[in-house]
Amino acid sequence: MAMVNLTINGQKVSAPAGSTVLQAARLANIDIPTLCDHPALAPIGACRMCLVEVKGQRTLQPACTFPIAEGMEVQTESQPVTDARKFVLDLLFAERNHYCMYCEMSGDCELQALGYRYGIDHWVYPTYTKRFPVDASRKYFLMDHNRCILCRRCVRACSELVANHTLGVRQRGAASMIQADMDVPFGQSTCVSCGTCLQVCPTGALVDKRSAFMGRDIQTQHIQSTCAQCSIGCGMEIVTRDGNVLRIEGDWNAPVNAGLLCQKGRFDPLYDARPRITKPLVRKNGVLKEVDWDTAVQIVVQALKDTNAKDWGVLTTTYATNEALYLLDKLFRQELGVTNVGLLNDVAPKMVEKANGSLADVNNSDIILLVGANPASEQPVASFFIKRALNKGARLIVVDDQENGLAAFASMNLGMAEVEKAIEFAQRATNPVVLYGAGVTSEAARALQKLSGKAAFVALEPGVNTRAAAALGLNSGFDPSASKALYVLLGEQNWNGELVKKDAFVIVQASYQSPLTERADVVLPMAIWAERTGTVTNTEGRIQKVNKAVEPKGEAKPDWEILSLLASKMGKKIGTSLDEVSAHAAQAIHPS
Amino acid sequence: MQPLEAKIADPAKRSMLLTALYIAQEQYGYLTKEAIERVATRLGLPVADVYSMASFYSLYRLQPTGRYVLQVCEGLSCHLVGGADRLVDYLRKKLGIEVGETTPDGLFTLQTVQCLASCGTSPAMRVNDALYENMTAEKVDELLDTLRGYHV
Ligand code: SF4
Ligand code: SF4
Ligand code: FES
Ligand code: FES
Repeated sequence: MAMVNLTINGQKVSAPAGSTVLQAARLANIDIPTLCDHPALAPIGACRMCLVEVKGQRTLQPACTFPIAEGMEVQTESQPVTDARKFVLDLLFAERNHYCMYCEMSGDCELQALGYRYGIDHWVYPTYTKRFPVDASRKYFLMDHNRCILCRRCVRACSELVANHTLGVRQRGAASMIQADMDVPFGQSTCVSCGTCLQVCPTGALVDKRSAFMGRDIQTQHIQSTCAQCSIGCGMEIVTRDGNVLRIEGDWNAPVNAGLLCQKGRFDPLYDARPRITKPLVRKNGVLKEVDWDTAVQIVVQALKDTNAKDWGVLTTTYATNEALYLLDKLFRQELGVTNVGLLNDVAPKMVEKANGSLADVNNSDIILLVGANPASEQPVASFFIKRALNKGARLIVVDDQENGLAAFASMNLGMAEVEKAIEFAQRATNPVVLYGAGVTSEAARALQKLSGKAAFVALEPGVNTRAAAALGLNSGFDPSASKALYVLLGEQNWNGELVKKDAFVIVQASYQSPLTERADVVLPMAIWAERTGTVTNTEGRIQKVNKAVEPKGEAKPDWEILSLLASKMGKKIGTSLDEVSAHAAQAIHPS
Repeated sequence: MQPLEAKIADPAKRSMLLTALYIAQEQYGYLTKEAIERVATRLGLPVADVYSMASFYSLYRLQPTGRYVLQVCEGLSCHLVGGADRLVDYLRKKLGIEVGETTPDGLFTLQTVQCLASCGTSPAMRVNDALYENMTAEKVDELLDTLRGYHV
C-alpha cells in the first residue's frame, strides 16, 4: 500500500494513503483527543474536539475526518489548538447537566477526562438551566438526555453496525435531541436491545441499569471470553468486581463479531433468576437429598456398571464446551458403547462437502439466500450482518415455511418448495451466500447443491455448540422411551423430560432447578457460562476460548470436569487436564 | 389527486427525501405519522431518518395547521412600504388569533415569514402556494371571503 509521509508535532510519520490525520497520529502513538469519533464508526467530524493545526489551512481542521497528504505539517497541541478545544469543552459542559459527582460514569467518562486534561475547572458560560428528560422505558439501560453531548455515536452504531436504524436526532441546533423512530419512548421503539449504543456512548447518557453505580472501570476486571448463547460465538468481555459479574461487553477485537452483541448475549444471561443447584443431589426413599460429590459419583458409577449399554440413553444440550461434549462422547459412546444418544436441539443438514463460507462473506455478498433459519431471533448478530449487507445494496431472499424475523427485509419471501426460484437468482449474482439452518428440507438441500462452487455456504446452527456435537456424532438419534437409564447433560437449558419412562433411572448434570431435576435420581451441580474455562466451536467451525470469570456457585463444577471425574472413577483414562482434553476435543472436531 | 407513491417518481434515492416530504405535506396538510411512514416505505429509508429530516427543517410541519396557511411577509421591502405590521395586525384582529395560531374552524393559520421574493410588489403574502401582491386591507377581506366561500 502506498505510504504518505507527513510530520506531526515535528515528528516524521508515515501512514497508508487515504488515512485521516487521526489515524496517522494513532499509528505514531500521538494522542489526539476525540469525542464523536469511534474506531468502529465512520467519522463525522461533529464535536470539534480533535481540531488540529494543518500548515497552509486557513482554519483548524478536525483530525478525524481530514485526510493526510504528502509533506503535510500538523500541530496537535499548539496554543490555537488547545484554546479551541477548551472553548469546545466549555460549551459542552455548559450545554446540559455535566455535574459529574452524581453521574454513574464519573471516572469512566470521556468528556470528564478531557475536562481534566484541559483544565476545565469552572464554568465559563452560564451553566445548564434546562432540565432534559430521562427515558428509562427500556428494560436494560436508560437514556439520560441531561448527560448527552449529541456526539451521535449511538445513532451511528445503531445504523452502521446493527443496521437497526432505530435512533435519530430530532430538531436542530440547541433543540437537538437523540430520539427513537418517530420520537417514541425507547422502550416502545423498534430497538432490539442489543446494547451497542450503550457500549459506544462516551458519557453517562446511556447507562446500564444492572451495573450502574456498582464500580468504576478501574475497580473491575475484564475477562475475555466467548458468548455461548448461540452458535455465532461472539467475542465478549465479562466485567466483574469482587467475584460478581457486573455486565458483559462486546470485544471490539473479536474476529467474528467485532464488538457487537445482542440481547441474548449481553443482557439475558445476567437476568436469569432460576434457582441454582449448588450441591449434588441423590434420591433416597423418594426424596432428593444433598450429598457430597464422592457419594453422588459413586452412585452414578455403580449405575453405569449395573446397566447394560443398550438400556442407556444419553441426551445433551449444546450449551456445553467442546471438552464436555468430547468427554461425553468418549465415555458413553466410545467406551461404554451407548448408541441411544441425542441432542436437545436440531442440527442443520450437511449441505456441501464442507461449508466453505464464513459469516464475513455476508458482508460482500450481493444476494443472500436465507434458507430454513431464523437468525433474527436465533442468531441476532448474524441478522445484524445481513441487514448491514442490505444497507450496502445486497438483496435478501428468505426461503422458509416458518415465520421469519427477516421477512420484512427480504426482496422475496418464498416457501421451501419454491427454493428453485431463489437458486436462479443466486446463479445470476456475483457473490451469493447461502445461510441455512435446521429448517431446510432434504429436497431443498439437494436443490441447493447446484450452487456449490458458486455460493458461499454458511450454516446457522441452532443451539450453541451444535457444530462440535454434530462433528462428534452426538446427534445420532435419541429415543427417550427406549432407555431404562438416562444421562442428561442439561446444563443451563430446560427440558421437560417428555417421554422419559416413569421408572427410568435419570442422572442430570444441570445448573438450574427444573422439572427434570425434580424428577431425577441423581443431580450433579454444573457451573454456568461465566464459571468455566474451555473452548466452544462456532457455526463456522471456529474454535474459541471461554474463560472463567467467577468461581462456580456452591459445589458446582464445570461441565467437562464432571465427566472427567466420572471417567476416572470408572477407570477410563480419557484425559484429566483441561489442556489435554481440549487438544483431544479439537482433534476430534476437526480431524486433520 | 395522484397518490403520493406515484408522485414520488424515483424512489431509490435518498436525495428525493426533501421533495417527497414536501409532497406528503401538501397532501396531508402536515407531516402526520402516516405520511412519514409512507415516505419512508416509498424511499426505502428508515423511519427514524425521515423523521429526523422532517423535524430538522422548519418548512415541514409536524403539527396540524389550518386549511389555509397565511404567510405574511415581514421582509425588509414589505416592512418599508409599511405593509407588514399593518397586515399582520389586521389579520390578527380579523381572525381573532395570534401569529402561529389557527382559527377554531380550522380554516386559517397565521404565520409570518421572511421575504417571499416579491419585493417589487410588496407588501406580499402567501396562501399555501399562491402569492398575493400589493396587499391592502380591502384585498385581505376579499381574499378571506373567497377562501371561506369554498367551505360553506
Ligand atoms: S447518548 Fe451518548 S452516544 Fe448518543 S449522542 Fe448522547 S452522548 Fe453521544
Ligand atoms: S440497543 Fe441496539 S437496536 Fe436498540 S437503539 Fe441501541 S443500538 Fe439500536
Ligand atoms: S472526534 Fe473529530 S470532530 Fe469529534
Ligand atoms: S420583503 Fe416581502 S417579498 Fe421581499
